[in-house]
Amino acid sequence: MLMDNNQKRFVEDALDLLNELDEGLLQLEANPQATAPLEQVFRTMHTIKGGANMFGFENIGELAHHLETLYDLVRQGNMQVSDGLISITLHAFDKVRDLLKEKDATKIANADELKDHLKMAIAFLKSAETESMKVAQASVQPISKKDQLATFFFRISPTVNMTIDGNHPLVFIIQDLEAVGTARTFCYKKSDGNIAHWDVYLSTTTAQAEIESYFLFVENECHVSCTMLLACDLFGSAEFKKFIEEFKDTPTDSGELIAFVQMIASNFNNQAATEDDLADAEPTRKKSYNDTFIKVSKRKIDDLLNWISELIILQAQLVNVTSSVNSPEITEVTEQLEHVTNSLRDTSLEIGLVPVETLVTKFKRLVRDLSKNLNKKVNFLSEGAETEMDKDVIELMTEPMIHIIRNCIDHGIETPEERRQAGKTEHGTVKLKAFNTSSYVNIVISDDGKGIDKDKVLAKAIEKGLVAPDAVLSEEETLSLIFHPGLSTASAISDVSGRGVGMDVVKQKINDLRGYVTIKSTQGKGTSIHIKLPLSRSIIEGLLVKVEETRYVVPLNVIDRIDRISYDELDRGNQVNKMVVVNEETLSVFSLRQKFHGETAVPKTTDIISVTVNGIRKGIAVDRIEGKMQTVMKPLGDAYQQQDFIAGSTILGDGSLALVLDPSRLFQLSDN
Amino acid sequence: MKNNSNAYLTFALGEEKFAIRVDHVQEVVEFGQVTKVPNAPNYMLGIINLRGRVLPLLDTKLKLGLSATTVTQKSRIMILDIHSSDDKNFQIGAMVDFAREVIEIDANEIQDAPEFENLKTSAPVTGIVNNHGDITMIMDIGKVFSISDLTDIKTTTLN
Repeated sequence: MLMDNNQKRFVEDALDLLNELDEGLLQLEANPQATAPLEQVFRTMHTIKGGANMFGFENIGELAHHLETLYDLVRQGNMQVSDGLISITLHAFDKVRDLLKEKDATKIANADELKDHLKMAIAFLKSAETESMKVAQASVQPISKKDQLATFFFRISPTVNMTIDGNHPLVFIIQDLEAVGTARTFCYKKSDGNIAHWDVYLSTTTAQAEIESYFLFVENECHVSCTMLLACDLFGSAEFKKFIEEFKDTPTDSGELIAFVQMIASNFNNQAATEDDLADAEPTRKKSYNDTFIKVSKRKIDDLLNWISELIILQAQLVNVTSSVNSPEITEVTEQLEHVTNSLRDTSLEIGLVPVETLVTKFKRLVRDLSKNLNKKVNFLSEGAETEMDKDVIELMTEPMIHIIRNCIDHGIETPEERRQAGKTEHGTVKLKAFNTSSYVNIVISDDGKGIDKDKVLAKAIEKGLVAPDAVLSEEETLSLIFHPGLSTASAISDVSGRGVGMDVVKQKINDLRGYVTIKSTQGKGTSIHIKLPLSRSIIEGLLVKVEETRYVVPLNVIDRIDRISYDELDRGNQVNKMVVVNEETLSVFSLRQKFHGETAVPKTTDIISVTVNGIRKGIAVDRIEGKMQTVMKPLGDAYQQQDFIAGSTILGDGSLALVLDPSRLFQLSDN
Repeated sequence: MKNNSNAYLTFALGEEKFAIRVDHVQEVVEFGQVTKVPNAPNYMLGIINLRGRVLPLLDTKLKLGLSATTVTQKSRIMILDIHSSDDKNFQIGAMVDFAREVIEIDANEIQDAPEFENLKTSAPVTGIVNNHGDITMIMDIGKVFSISDLTDIKTTTLN
């Protein structure tokens, strides 16, 4: 049975909610005493339950209900967060997620798979109830516990003269302080412009002692007082935020502050406990954008982007036409229009972007499950999770990135024992860092494991005949061998990785998206893989070239260098050896003229574009290079499916079309 | 659109007159610039830019197994909507020697078509009609430009 619109919407919302739930559960696992993730988990489950029951998925509702009951016990202090609890919850909702992805209402409603999880949840509840009496008596005292989410009030008074834009380390320490949680800082100045003191309100899971240690090096230059206000995130309370804002100009009276906090503390707890008021009590998540969001269908965005691509093309044509009309007024309007078009393009491209954060949750899960499986201790850190990427690109990159992270944990990170012997901390770290540079999104996945054994890689490559035994390879070239199909250094094939398929697929996927991947590794220190992807799939940067009257575009990301040689050196008639020497290197060259066009009226010179595709360097011969360009790529459509060495076409300023080449497929053509 | 189904666009291929249902025709444009796509069958002339849309251009005569079209002042491109069997819609440009006019043809004026031996694609002509003295063949464009036909073609091998 197909789903009606409401059910579809529920499934979509629920999938989002399940991601949030995962995130919350993992946070809760890391900080079992923290209230904010607990509340979030509880609230999310409650929403899923409500939606599921309303739209006819009672089995999901029932499961969510029983799990919710468990977390209610935790909230009431009758049960502790345990590994077991988190695990059964994660697994149960994994099943729900799988089911929802089926997008078939009957299948979802009649699924038996959930019953096992339901039984598990009920069994867990029974055992928990017998335990709960003891726990209740033991009465948890969470306040002093480490990793507890709490709100602090700091007053930092410098004892030496300093200004806000002076380079005193204290200024930076305060910025670091703000970065560990949700913070609001007030800076009070003396009449001479020097700083009297800072008041910082901070809600964080970082322990008080650790925060205080930040000030260790500036002990003699300031006085720091730290008060813990309440063991919860006070920034979730609008009253609190309003209250502290009143101290913007006059220093906080700490007595008044504490009295106020005690007053709202009772409120805050009541509020959070009342399910009906859940929406009002929504505690701030780690990132709160001051934006509102609406859901828009992908089709509408695609339509919008299509129209804008056409606008860009028309704009280019207009510029072309205007240049032949000698009218300052028209030229001015055209220039203004160009400016507006460019801004419109930039804004519209952002619409389809989603933050990398959606991946981070998935990876946290992966790292958690995998490190448990492999008996390794691994922390997962992410940086720049707010960096945005095209939603389609994120979807296409998920699998490759999962593969890389698997490799990091399986091959990179050592067992705790090995790490101790190597003088490292038992916990390994896998880090995902995302950031933007010009028209690219960069993703760096790094680990602090044992690194790649380059000699081993090289030996294997020689053994498999991929590299000549006497070849001298640079470090980079050696490392990039791991992207070669059929090369894997895992000595034992594990369930996780090491089947020798994977890294070449990763590389291929990145190539398909017209991205780059580079790898760095230091033995004993770790490995880092840098993926660089174009911001948009339809905007392409390339080299415009001409062969006879046809224009082609060669994507810039694969180009190494360009050389001009005489045509005779390329076309040596019937000679057997077709290799061409360019820049003292022998290249196998694909001549667009020879393969696709006639050999009549040959030019005097030919430009050889050296490209590296799948780790192999080859050349593409063209008549003439016309220049670098950034343009919108359009697919050729179904009629030209067979001509897959053409990735698409692009409309040039004069309205004519250029063909965008897919170099790796182009060379496959010459191999056959 | 249904009440327009008696309207046909007539066009010429060489000396012969054809007609297709007007609801398949999006518009008729003049022949402009075409960019050849390498390694494609000879009847696939390349791609054209129709106001920012990239469409394949086909030589209708070559597709039917007749001699190649010579471009003249009168050459026209019919922009056609093709519905394929798997419910996909796609658009193509079909080159013809001459595009004439839209006429009304009553269903009972159409006579059954005889077999045409010199046409390559199987039975593209579904009937013939006497249009004021001109013998006009009614063409089923779905049969001439079926998507499976366009995509299943083996690429010509490289030498």
